[in-house]
Amino acid sequence: MFDVIKGVLGIPLNLIIFYLFGALVLRRKGKVVNEGLNLIVGFFTYYILFFIVIFPFMIKYRPLSWFMTVWIPLCVIILVISAVINRKNIAELVSKGILFARENKAVSIVILAVIFIQILIVTCTYNFTLDAAYYVANVTTTIDTNMINVYDPFTGAWLDHYEVRYLFATYPINDAVMCKILAIPALVQTKLTMSGVIIIIVNILYIMIARCLFREKDTNRSTAIMLVMIFIVNITFYTIFTSSLFLLTRTYEGKTIVGNLSILAIFYIFMMMISDEEISFPWLSIFIISVGSMTISSSGNMLIPAELSLLFVPYMFVKKTLKPLVKYIACMIPGIAMLLVYVLYIEGYFVFYTYPR
Amino acid sequence: MQDVTVSALKIAYLRECLSRYNGSTGYLMLFFAMLLFIIVKGSEKEKKIFVPMSVLSVATVYNPVFPHMITLFTKIDSEYYRFFWITPVVILVPYIMTKLVIMLMDGKIKYRKTVIVLLVLAILLSSGSVFNSGMRIAENKYKIPDELIEISEIIHNDSDKEYPKAFLEFEYNMQMRQYDPKMLLTIDREDYLYAVSKEYTTEMVDSDEKPQYRLLAGLVRYQKVNNEKLVEALEMTDTEYVVLTTGSTMIPILEDLGLEEVATTKGHTILKYNQKEIVPFELVDYSGCYVEGL
Repeated sequence: MFDVIKGVLGIPLNLIIFYLFGALVLRRKGKVVNEGLNLIVGFFTYYILFFIVIFPFMIKYRPLSWFMTVWIPLCVIILVISAVINRKNIAELVSKGILFARENKAVSIVILAVIFIQILIVTCTYNFTLDAAYYVANVTTTIDTNMINVYDPFTGAWLDHYEVRYLFATYPINDAVMCKILAIPALVQTKLTMSGVIIIIVNILYIMIARCLFREKDTNRSTAIMLVMIFIVNITFYTIFTSSLFLLTRTYEGKTIVGNLSILAIFYIFMMMISDEEISFPWLSIFIISVGSMTISSSGNMLIPAELSLLFVPYMFVKKTLKPLVKYIACMIPGIAMLLVYVLYIEGYFVFYTYPR
Repeated sequence: MQDVTVSALKIAYLRECLSRYNGSTGYLMLFFAMLLFIIVKGSEKEKKIFVPMSVLSVATVYNPVFPHMITLFTKIDSEYYRFFWITPVVILVPYIMTKLVIMLMDGKIKYRKTVIVLLVLAILLSSGSVFNSGMRIAENKYKIPDELIEISEIIHNDSDKEYPKAFLEFEYNMQMRQYDPKMLLTIDREDYLYAVSKEYTTEMVDSDEKPQYRLLAGLVRYQKVNNEKLVEALEMTDTEYVVLTTGSTMIPILEDLGLEEVATTKGHTILKYNQKEIVPFELVDYSGCYVEGL
């Protein structure tokens, strides 16, 4: 029971961490503030920094505990700096939220109820999925062996080389770190804490998208109704291949985050830009989401460049400008580079061994 | 979509992908119908957001030639369906539904009751539901069967090794290490995925390079495997425990071959093979690789 309580408390803890990271990156004096985007960009910023710090430890087969002695203080410093710099803004955000809830009781109740129901669905139900054999077992294996990606999560056997498909997607390793900090089992961290976190962030994104679409009229009521409609679509757009099914049954998996958060976050930024709505640092946000998605799942390597092309090639035609071309290409490069790395690995051009040769 | 390949289906690959992706739901068709509505009746903002990207998607992602172009660079067979995730079905469809609901609430649509009934029917008839597959409430905080936890405890209590090795049936094999990383498994995920859909050839069963094939052929696929070869495979893989569904016809055969029953749980029997020589698994000692002070 205590594990469950810690797991539940881990949900707001993670959200605060991600928000503070985002606030440090996106908040600037005189620039429009988008708190939801702060949270989402903060989520990906966190995982990018996590990857940058952990990669040398991993590739040189250093223990997880060594990495944590560097990561935890670094993280705490960043969080404290962000909290101090943004303390007035955070206080304002909280009071605005309370005021909104008081003035829009019905809308707030509907929104909170829809999110709560989804959290119950994803955290209280049994789902058997094959990919959990990798995602969750990688967390337990990492904790048990104190080594990063050196042992096969599926069997426990020692691996003589790193599997490149999983090497750059260090998202599950953060779960191992959180398990050690909170002293909770991997299955609680993944299927309760991270599932709850993802549902909340994705629904905040849905709210942002709805508010953009219904900007002109009756925004609050329309947003609440659209959130309900999205929920209905998600529970009924049901085949084993849809992003909706992934969201409600495989919430904690990396490819679910790419399919439901990365893709829609970039779509949201595109919506704001093509509608000429004010948004701060759109291309920085897209770049962070693109790079961050690679550290979440290798699915991001092909999906994000594809989405960027499907959105921003027509965008340049519609706006009759090539000004965004360089930024568009810059955002594509990480995914394409990673795809190239993977193809080279498959063709046998290089191997990263898990021992000195 | 493991069994759907571009090379086998050629131009029909995309149709098969779409058919499986969409299943019995009508949401993809609904999306394109609503897109047409936007093109005809939508505002400038709606058109700018949804139309250009959808047109380009039709020309690329939904073009039967496109998968063939991609396979020139990388294998995409089992992952192509993820490109469909880029199409904002979960945005456009609820968006139009919301506009309709608001018009109903504001009395801007005649014959309200008829429209509501038709809408609800359309959703129910054109969709499945995430609850249809028998989604059930988790038995414990780990969201794995209680029986799996029991099996783990029984094996660890019985074994004198920190890392005992077990052969488990498909579902428990995929879940055991999510709960218990100290349980080594004889079969990895990819080998099991092969076993659930394909038969093993004689060459595969006789192979000493992958004795796991023999175990899967005999214990999972119930193919004819020489009994001594089966036991040999347990020895070659250092497998100590075999956990099978109680009532499996292989249990008496394994017991005749020398395996002993350790315990039974609600639905499974745990057998132990007392091997003559088994080197206990130990974590690799990396301390010799590290330079002092990093």
